[in-house]
Amino acid sequence: MTATETLPVPPPPPAPTIDTDSAGFWAAAREGRVALCHCQECGHWMQRPLERCNRCGGPTGFDDVAGTGTIYSFIVVHHPGVPTFAGEIPYVIAIVEFDEGPRLPGILIGEKGPGVAVGQPARAELVQVPGAEEKALMFRRDPAT
Amino acid sequence: MVNREAAVVGIGRTVFSKSSGRTPLAMAAEATRAALDDAGLVPSDVDGIVDFHTNDSASALDVGGAIGALDLGLTLDATGGGNIAVTVVGQAIAAVQAGACNTAVVFRSLNGRSGNRYGRGESPSVPMKGEMQFAALNGFVIPPMWIAMWAQRHKHVYGTTDEDFGNIAITTRTHASANPHAMQRQIIDMDDYLAARWIYEPFRLFDCCLETDGAVALVITTLDRARDLKHTPIRMVGFGEAHTHGGSWTNFPDMADMYSSYASKRLWGSTHLKPSDMDVACMYDCFTGTVMATVEDFGLCPKGETGAFFGEGRATYGGEVVVNPHGGLLSEGYLHGLNHHYEAVVQLRGEAGDRQVADANHALVTAGAGPGGGALIYEADR
Repeated sequence: MTATETLPVPPPPPAPTIDTDSAGFWAAAREGRVALCHCQECGHWMQRPLERCNRCGGPTGFDDVAGTGTIYSFIVVHHPGVPTFAGEIPYVIAIVEFDEGPRLPGILIGEKGPGVAVGQPARAELVQVPGAEEKALMFRRDPAT
Repeated sequence: MVNREAAVVGIGRTVFSKSSGRTPLAMAAEATRAALDDAGLVPSDVDGIVDFHTNDSASALDVGGAIGALDLGLTLDATGGGNIAVTVVGQAIAAVQAGACNTAVVFRSLNGRSGNRYGRGESPSVPMKGEMQFAALNGFVIPPMWIAMWAQRHKHVYGTTDEDFGNIAITTRTHASANPHAMQRQIIDMDDYLAARWIYEPFRLFDCCLETDGAVALVITTLDRARDLKHTPIRMVGFGEAHTHGGSWTNFPDMADMYSSYASKRLWGSTHLKPSDMDVACMYDCFTGTVMATVEDFGLCPKGETGAFFGEGRATYGGEVVVNPHGGLLSEGYLHGLNHHYEAVVQLRGEAGDRQVADANHALVTAGAGPGGGALIYEADR
């Protein structure tokens, strides 16, 4: 490799299709907050943003969550199926169950697999992935607990 | 409206390959013509066509035009994957039973390897809306990733081991070794399984099915007509589906189970038959983890015991039921589950040659993984 050559920049990840129902989540993320869809009537938290509550039919809004939860499941990505993160393998994607109830998937930052276990505490973190327009919801194992 | 019985009377397929060099329309037409020939019917007999697709396919109307079935009383292009590979057959049978059409074709055609690949993340096959919004930016967009999460839960809840998954892969490949149509026929042992590379841990290479180019078609007509045709009619004698929790891949209540924990009640509630009556079980096996959960949910063995079920030889010839005698999606090819129907029909006719299951009268066919899918039972009408 000569000095003028540079490493290829990985392509951006797939973009989320944001709609009226979900805009509140992404608006909060741009401000550095994690806000999930929350029924303003019965208090039910929903992972998938919906205009009306899927339990009581009441109106919903986006309210901040604590950002803490536990690892419900996880995988170790060894295969470069997604070019964006091919340079990171192996890395971990976890499904984290928020203290409020909903589960969300996200990369478990800085992990390669060993030491990660179901039930461990984790904390949400908003991350700018190069080339992406929106911030990604990722997680980090919570060493404090 | 009428109410009459229906049966599967014809099966057809193309070669399965990694690079067909053909259009899905051409392959669908070939498989459909083959299925009609097999039945002893002609294209002008066809007045219903049903298919399913998520990535590439041909439409029912296109296939009708391509084979010369020019007056269709029913066309249905259903959007979905393995989760509806039982739905489409059940709906085609129901349409014939109700008189919406007399002779229906069901097909699946795809260039799953050379065309739009399910296993790649550059341009995901599913829209990045709903819950996939959150998955998108993390690249959590490929089916083996989703289903590996469920397998991890199975390990966590039941203490399932790597070898338990391996026994499914090994049994399936052993079955495929007797199937000339299978894409992969080389027998593997536990050393091979464990030495193969990780894909999405806990899945290794042999836990994952084979992206495939090809097409499969079935022909369904009335039972009265079926009894005058070439082969033993194959009737559907049980049916049950479950499409649950809005299709969520992450918020299903207990991800050590699958849709099958719901569909099982409907399936066994629809028939006098029991799991122990099944001679053949064509279990949807996009991944070993799918077989793990669904074999248990449908009651072929107790929860948490699939590893032993395969490891002790209870899922193969001489055991309790032969699971995927064709080698399944794991070894025959990923025809999105319609090849499971094909195999069930071959077995119940007694035409499976070296891999024939002795005295096969009842076959379970399942379709789907995670939150949605279904199952049906076929019986030979001898």
